[in-house]
Amino acid sequence: MKIFIDPPNSLILYDLVERFGHEPLSTMGALREKVNTLEMDSPPLNITHEDVQKGLKYAGIEVPSGIRGRLAVFGPLVDEAEAAIIMEDPPYAFGCVGCHRTTLMLKYLIRKRNIPLLEVKYPTSEDEARTMVGKIKEFLEGLS
Amino acid sequence: MSEETETRLIVVAPDSEITPDHVTRFIHALELPITVKETCYGAIIEGKRELVRKALQEVRKLDPNRICSKIRGFPMGDMRRCRAHHGSRPGFPQLEKEWELLPLIAEGLRSAERGEKIEEPERKVKLPVKELKKIVEEVSQ
Amino acid sequence: MIKIAQLSCGAEYSGVQSEIEKAANSVGAKMVYPDIDYEEIDRAVEEFGFDPASPTLRMMIARAMHLVEGRYDADAVFIATCFRCAEGALIRNEVRRFVQENSRLPVVTYSFTERTKAGQLLTRMEALVTIVERKELLARERQVGLTAGIDSGSTTTKVCILRDNEIIGKYWLPTGEVLNSADTSYEKALEMAGVKARDIEAIGVTGYGRFIIGKKMKAKLIQEELTVNSKGAVWLADRQEGEATIIDIGGMDNKAITVRDGIPDNFTMGGICAGASGRFLEIVAKRLRVEIDELGALADRGDWRKVNMNSYCSIFGIQDLVTSLAEGVSIEDVAAAACHSVAEQVYEQQLQEIDVRQPVIQVGGTSLISGMVTAIKDMLGQQPIVPKDSQFIGAAGAALLSSGFLEGQ
Repeated sequence: MKIFIDPPNSLILYDLVERFGHEPLSTMGALREKVNTLEMDSPPLNITHEDVQKGLKYAGIEVPSGIRGRLAVFGPLVDEAEAAIIMEDPPYAFGCVGCHRTTLMLKYLIRKRNIPLLEVKYPTSEDEARTMVGKIKEFLEGLS
Repeated sequence: MSEETETRLIVVAPDSEITPDHVTRFIHALELPITVKETCYGAIIEGKRELVRKALQEVRKLDPNRICSKIRGFPMGDMRRCRAHHGSRPGFPQLEKEWELLPLIAEGLRSAERGEKIEEPERKVKLPVKELKKIVEEVSQ
Repeated sequence: MIKIAQLSCGAEYSGVQSEIEKAANSVGAKMVYPDIDYEEIDRAVEEFGFDPASPTLRMMIARAMHLVEGRYDADAVFIATCFRCAEGALIRNEVRRFVQENSRLPVVTYSFTERTKAGQLLTRMEALVTIVERKELLARERQVGLTAGIDSGSTTTKVCILRDNEIIGKYWLPTGEVLNSADTSYEKALEMAGVKARDIEAIGVTGYGRFIIGKKMKAKLIQEELTVNSKGAVWLADRQEGEATIIDIGGMDNKAITVRDGIPDNFTMGGICAGASGRFLEIVAKRLRVEIDELGALADRGDWRKVNMNSYCSIFGIQDLVTSLAEGVSIEDVAAAACHSVAEQVYEQQLQEIDVRQPVIQVGGTSLISGMVTAIKDMLGQQPIVPKDSQFIGAAGAALLSSGFLEGQ
């Protein structure tokens, strides 16, 4: 199944989803298409004015352009997802998820989808890590 | 570049005995027509998707719970995301931090393999205001 | 090659990163990005004392600290965040202040939307490059020798002749054909100064027509209006040190520039609505059958609150004024309402995009209309400084700066 992960560029979540036999939907995957579109010339990410306008599907014109640009790329991943894992409280979240407001919105959009969803907290100890990995494994193996 | 091409980070946990050099040589020895580059965290590989996946499958066997992977959006050596030309890549600090966490994840994976029961650790909750007020009164006396 | 360090949040996802780089390249500069690692971000944020939720803003703070500590080599700093982002705007301004207070690096700031094109960034980049390349020239606080400045604006062409730090000749006229307007104003200003063109030691040119005029007149200085107007305004107002905001409401457009020690670091520009310019006041004066010079004094005697204005538009707004007249409101009140309307629109459209710093120096043609100054005072809660010859900032600034080329002669 296609699993949306949040943070959407997390190495750990990406690895675990693949490890337990599913397809992660990540920002790296979404951007791959963008950066490989050779006919466009808006480096580094090839996000264009039109992309930012497409973001209007998820947020109104009064929302900053950086948020709409992000949602234009990541929103479709939420639409496409068949299940999702959200990891709360990560101490890191850079690059694609550099805007906190976008992160909040993405999480909200995924919760609204009513698809199987697992919410875990970023671990701070071995015990918590065991619980987190165990829960993720159980969740992913339980998806048909 | 065709859509069939994939770029992947192979990330080795800091407590693994496997070194990035080892990973790189191992992948070379597979003799697959893919590109391999050693990095500080492990290796970056690029080539036809099924070959990249095959290499990943093999390299994981070296230390299954401590070798992790994710794809990368930008092709290898892409000038738009080259550190020398564009400063630190925004996603790099995140990778650094997640790399530090890998020993804990490896522990989690081992525990899951052993089929250990998942125990929800107790989460701390905020002290009720009433109790705080009581303590304030006690302490300030 | 001048290296401009970029401290920004949202530029890549707004699709404007390539426009930023394009603008820098076209003025012979290059955007660079200070390299930092994770540990540094935490340390920097803690030291800075402002802990934003967005990681890219945290990274911006770390990059700023890196620059200030001299661990990264750059000549200037460009600070930009998405327009309408509150968190971004707060950090943008505090990082700006932090860099200015702790280094000598010139800074410009910008808040972009997805519509931002290289053209809109060009004046800023050009100003940054000027500040780096002409640091000594811009540090000039006194005019020397006999020099002339020409400001070829979209509405009017202004000329100033300066000798030993004094304006001795000045002239303005509506801009017609660019070169002719400049020639005529120059001759008239020379006449007033009582000097001959051959005696002028250096000419500086600014404004829209600067390239064509500068070439023909063999100007020593051909410069964008951001740096020249700033310099002219602080020189005329005698506020060369510290922070200030220059509000320049002209005949057809308006600008708001923030400066520190006479060097600009941000500006916004109107120009899509005549309702926020002197043109609106001209129409009102005509309708009231008074001269434009009388409008200010009338407005000072009136009360804008007595007029119900629902629009800033020079068509619908004027209709409201006319309706009020028909209802028996005095022309003084209508004049006051007109000035208030222009001020309010500048406040709502322009000043929202910059941080207003005290003192406010009000310049441009409309600063001669006293009611307009009162309206700005009411809006900002503080009396703006209106320097003498406030409509000549560009010409005075150009004459002042061009005298920098005379040193050592």
